[in-house]
Amino acid sequence: MTRDIAVVAFAQSDHRRTSDELSEVELLMPVLHEVLERTGLRTADIGFTCSGSSDYLAGRAFSFTLALDGVGAWPPLSESHVEMDGAWALYEAWTKLRTGDADTALVYSYGKSSPGSLRDVLTRQLDPYYVAPLWPDSVALAALQAQALLDAGHADEPALAAVAARSRADAVTNSRAQVRGAVPHGDYLVRPLRTGDCPPIGDGAAAVVLAAGDLARRLCPRPAWIRGIDHRIEAHSLGVRDLTDSPSARLAAERAGAFERPVDTAELHAPFTSQEIVLRRALRLGDDVRVNPSGGALAANPMMAAGLVRVGEAAAAVHRGASDRALAHATSGPCLQQNLVAVLEGDPR
Amino acid sequence: MPHVLKAPLTVEFPFTRSLGPVQSAFLTGLRERVVLGVRGSDGRVLVPPAEYDPVTAEEIRDLVEVAPTGTVTTWAWNHEPRRGQPLGTPFAWVLVRLDGADTALLHALDAPGPDAVRTGMRVRVRWAGERTGAVTDIACFEPYDGEPEPPGGHPGVFEDPVRGIVAPARLDYTYSPGRAQTAYLDALGSRRIVGERCPSCRKVYVPPRGACPTCGVATAEQVEVGPRGTVTTFCIVNIKAKNLDIEVPYVYAHIALDGADLALHARIGSLPYDQVRMGLRVEPVWSEGSRYPDHYRPTGEPDAPYDTYKELL
Repeated sequence: MTRDIAVVAFAQSDHRRTSDELSEVELLMPVLHEVLERTGLRTADIGFTCSGSSDYLAGRAFSFTLALDGVGAWPPLSESHVEMDGAWALYEAWTKLRTGDADTALVYSYGKSSPGSLRDVLTRQLDPYYVAPLWPDSVALAALQAQALLDAGHADEPALAAVAARSRADAVTNSRAQVRGAVPHGDYLVRPLRTGDCPPIGDGAAAVVLAAGDLARRLCPRPAWIRGIDHRIEAHSLGVRDLTDSPSARLAAERAGAFERPVDTAELHAPFTSQEIVLRRALRLGDDVRVNPSGGALAANPMMAAGLVRVGEAAAAVHRGASDRALAHATSGPCLQQNLVAVLEGDPR
Repeated sequence: MPHVLKAPLTVEFPFTRSLGPVQSAFLTGLRERVVLGVRGSDGRVLVPPAEYDPVTAEEIRDLVEVAPTGTVTTWAWNHEPRRGQPLGTPFAWVLVRLDGADTALLHALDAPGPDAVRTGMRVRVRWAGERTGAVTDIACFEPYDGEPEPPGGHPGVFEDPVRGIVAPARLDYTYSPGRAQTAYLDALGSRRIVGERCPSCRKVYVPPRGACPTCGVATAEQVEVGPRGTVTTFCIVNIKAKNLDIEVPYVYAHIALDGADLALHARIGSLPYDQVRMGLRVEPVWSEGSRYPDHYRPTGEPDAPYDTYKELL
């Protein structure tokens, strides 16, 4: 069955370093209300609900079941959850709508990293036999990738700093972002990455509504049609991969149809400056493409939500007429191990 | 900002993991100061070795010994080592392609400073003094300017091979339960049980979690409930839980506190287990200095009629 599926609404929380006064559901609920309000839908109207989160972040078991309290699970929902970024929940929801099983989907994700030590928490996603016992933190692994990039001559430290400065300057117009405007590029955190090359650690949530066919047109003046979406993963062993390239991102983009016609905007989930440089090359983005007008993950990187935010920001650009064809990218795992690419288009104006 | 409760929370597990045949050979080899790789389907020698080919997913078992010397393929200077990392003093993270291998191994390099490290530099394994069959049997790498050490041609078969590893994992959090549960816990501290009412369906939830799970809206209006309540249903626990100083059998019950629309659960005491019944009226028993009721006991009132609690089952 072939049906056109669109992102018809997007909402996100403020992204902040801490949110002590809020439980996960208290953080998430206003975002769910806002995204539903934009479409005029109620929970009972939604055909499928899918979320992405990780209990390791806040150390709270089964937090995703408690988060469902914010949706209102009565009458009982058709619901699913991925222990991944919400962009992968969106992929599952898109698949569900493609089958015709549902006409609308609510996709949300949230991450509350502030209770824990994120750099250490993320070591637990690594190979438990050969890698996790060494506790290599997320910045260290990104720094190995950045050094490989420098050695290959694809970038130098000023080029990395320029990515950081451009991202945070663009974030000035994004009231939700955590780091905005001019910030010092800082000292080395793990050399060659400086604090400015690294994403802020923070708490946040995001949600989108998907709808199929004519219903999408009724819910949104200019739906962001998902023309293609695909995700690909590389070998988990870092030493097997060429860290200066992202063949999985390129293949996902190819399968999503990204190379068929140029895009005008790209929202890349590149938590580290060096990763934007890898992705621009892999995705063949020229200088005429607006990259991360939202500020990207260097301005706000709520774990499990930042990838869904990329899809949401790209869709919102289409909704408001700022983009006709946008690429949205999400990543997961160390050093861009797994990548998702979606191509979104607005109806011709 | 409103008053927020916080508490330290440590999540700690010793993960016991069994090993596949290739992993077992590799880790046993490290114990015996032998580094083994495995030949992939394209002829490349993978170190660390995988059970399955990373490209074709074929099962691969052809073990090859490689040298304990090699070349840094990329590095990152870590001036502030974190808990659990291989060295406690500043070091370089490195990917090292060992002589005879085609892929690189992640580990630490002990070097005096970042100026002493570069991609392409030669390094050698520094073995740990005590080796158990784990990746940490390599203590770290160290700079090495000698000739490549030739691999020994070990077949990868060992006496007493390592069959599994125990990987301790510990994460420390500072947990905060959020607004609604903070209010609930604060009230419990003064021996009051306070739920929250849904503005839409008017139900009172206790303990409150900040949202009505039926309506999906925030609860805010605080409502004191109980302290007395009714047993709606119960079970008899016959297995003693570890670290729990309660004699079995005992009764664990759902209790609908007066004024609440959701039953909470607690232990029933002060009554033989076989006399607990649905409809039994109970009240909380607080022990000195405790922030929450130790258990519930009968009030002596007549049992509640079934119709009064049937919606709360």
